[in-house]
Amino acid sequence: MSVIRTEQLGKRYGRRVGVERLNLAVPEGSVFGFLGPNGSGKTTTIRLLLGLLRPSAGVARVFGQDCWKQSDTVKAQVGYVPGDLRLYPWLTCRAAVRLLGRMHGRDLTDEGAQLAEDFDLPADLRSGSMSRGMRQKLGLILALAHRPRLLILDEPTSGLDPLIQEKLYARLRKLASSGHTVFLSSHTLGEVQQLCDRVAILREGTLVADETVHDLRTRARRTVSIQWHNIPQEYENRSPEFLDVHERRPLQWRATLTGSAMDLVRWSAGQPIEDLSIGTPDLARLFQQYYADREPAE
Amino acid sequence: MNRGLISKAVHEVWLSTLLLAVSIALTELLLIYILQLFSREMSDTWLRVKIVQKMIQGLLGTSVAGGLGGDVMAAIPWVHPLILILTWAHAIALCTRLPVGEIDRGTIDVLLSLPASRTRHYCCESIVWFVAGAAVITAALIGNAIGNRLFSPDAERGVLPSIIAAANLFMLYLAVGGITRLISSIASHRGRAIAVAFGVVFTSFLLNFLAQSWPAAQSAASLSVLNYYQPLAILGSGIWPVADLATLAAVALALWLAAAVIFTRRDIQAA
Repeated sequence: MSVIRTEQLGKRYGRRVGVERLNLAVPEGSVFGFLGPNGSGKTTTIRLLLGLLRPSAGVARVFGQDCWKQSDTVKAQVGYVPGDLRLYPWLTCRAAVRLLGRMHGRDLTDEGAQLAEDFDLPADLRSGSMSRGMRQKLGLILALAHRPRLLILDEPTSGLDPLIQEKLYARLRKLASSGHTVFLSSHTLGEVQQLCDRVAILREGTLVADETVHDLRTRARRTVSIQWHNIPQEYENRSPEFLDVHERRPLQWRATLTGSAMDLVRWSAGQPIEDLSIGTPDLARLFQQYYADREPAE
Repeated sequence: MNRGLISKAVHEVWLSTLLLAVSIALTELLLIYILQLFSREMSDTWLRVKIVQKMIQGLLGTSVAGGLGGDVMAAIPWVHPLILILTWAHAIALCTRLPVGEIDRGTIDVLLSLPASRTRHYCCESIVWFVAGAAVITAALIGNAIGNRLFSPDAERGVLPSIIAAANLFMLYLAVGGITRLISSIASHRGRAIAVAFGVVFTSFLLNFLAQSWPAAQSAASLSVLNYYQPLAILGSGIWPVADLATLAAVALALWLAAAVIFTRRDIQAA
């Protein structure tokens, strides 16, 4: 079942395109990465999902409900952390949990206290006196305390220290394993690689990729470093077809593997090579290719 | 109604409302005291100055060339610019909280991500505004009643005319709030919304003021909300000005509804 489904979703701001013909399906219980350069339409999509913007075309559904027409029922099952989080200066963690509890019609004191303890946030410190990182923690508590079925997080770790980031990752993994869904917009590729099952990439308001991280990994190029004992004459000015050499030093190559790893291993066995190292799949480079105005090579 | 939204709004407005209510009650008290203290000097000296006469006439909506009678003295604390500005300031401050205030300070994302429809947000905010406005006008009424008892004990007027005048002031408050809500529903910057609302209300005040002495403005006077605020006539007759109250209530309701429709349909852009 798809928790989020958009069909031909479009949003225009006058003549400017926010998003165009966006078709997304986010499976239940997944951590879904939503990537793209600045201005690609990520925030517009999130605002459409939350009913903050009205679609110019198509429809966005969360749990099968129209995000614009039934936004209040949609929001009852959603936790959200905005990219540019601003909070009321008087808001404390305790007051936030109380407000959220009243909105959801149930007591969330215990969940709030547990989250505050996990994130190391004082219960009675006003948001106006908090650092950016502390405000981010409070935003996360507001989004997590009611245990929503869907979490929409826009750059959730900005301002958080590495320890709290790890705690958040662990919590998100735990949520996903128990059937909750996480929709994560992020610029931190490491975060995406570490957390996400599936990734969609937007560019100029259009979806350019929607694949599992596993598929992306298999398509991502690996960097290869070769230390020659001596370079055979035939390779002084050329290279095998499965290697794209971009740095040639007297006895050292730095290259990108364009063929299979097996081809490389077989070939290297017969060469006077002193050392060979193959890097992990370079997702960052793949993403950059998507971000740039060209399709990544197959 | 939503307990969470109501308590959030109350938390944010109770202190400013309390301070303003106390200020308005004290202002009423002070005005009555000053008017009683200087009533003879005003009649004998100030009313001979044409411009002062015109100003009082403009505020009251009737000629005061015959001197300051009891009704006129009783009406001035209800139409004094200080009282009007305090009540308008409260209406404008509260009616620019949602949506424009929340958009301006960037908290609208968090607010609207809470599980409530925009209609519910708007209604809860409006309930708090209505009750807070009633409290402010009641404070004015209390200040007026105490002032009359302390400084004008000989006045034979009962409390009912003052209650009717306060009701008229409350309807004016709601109409000003309605105008402001409409501006707030389409704006994205609170400062600009406040400036425009004050501009509209001040123009309305000016139109009503000029209509007393400038025939060209008389034809347009009915466009001013202040044209339907007549404390002098109320205090003189003690009769409910049903048409004026209904006109102000209709203006308030129509603008409030229009603002609600705009707010529930508008895009909320990122801060």
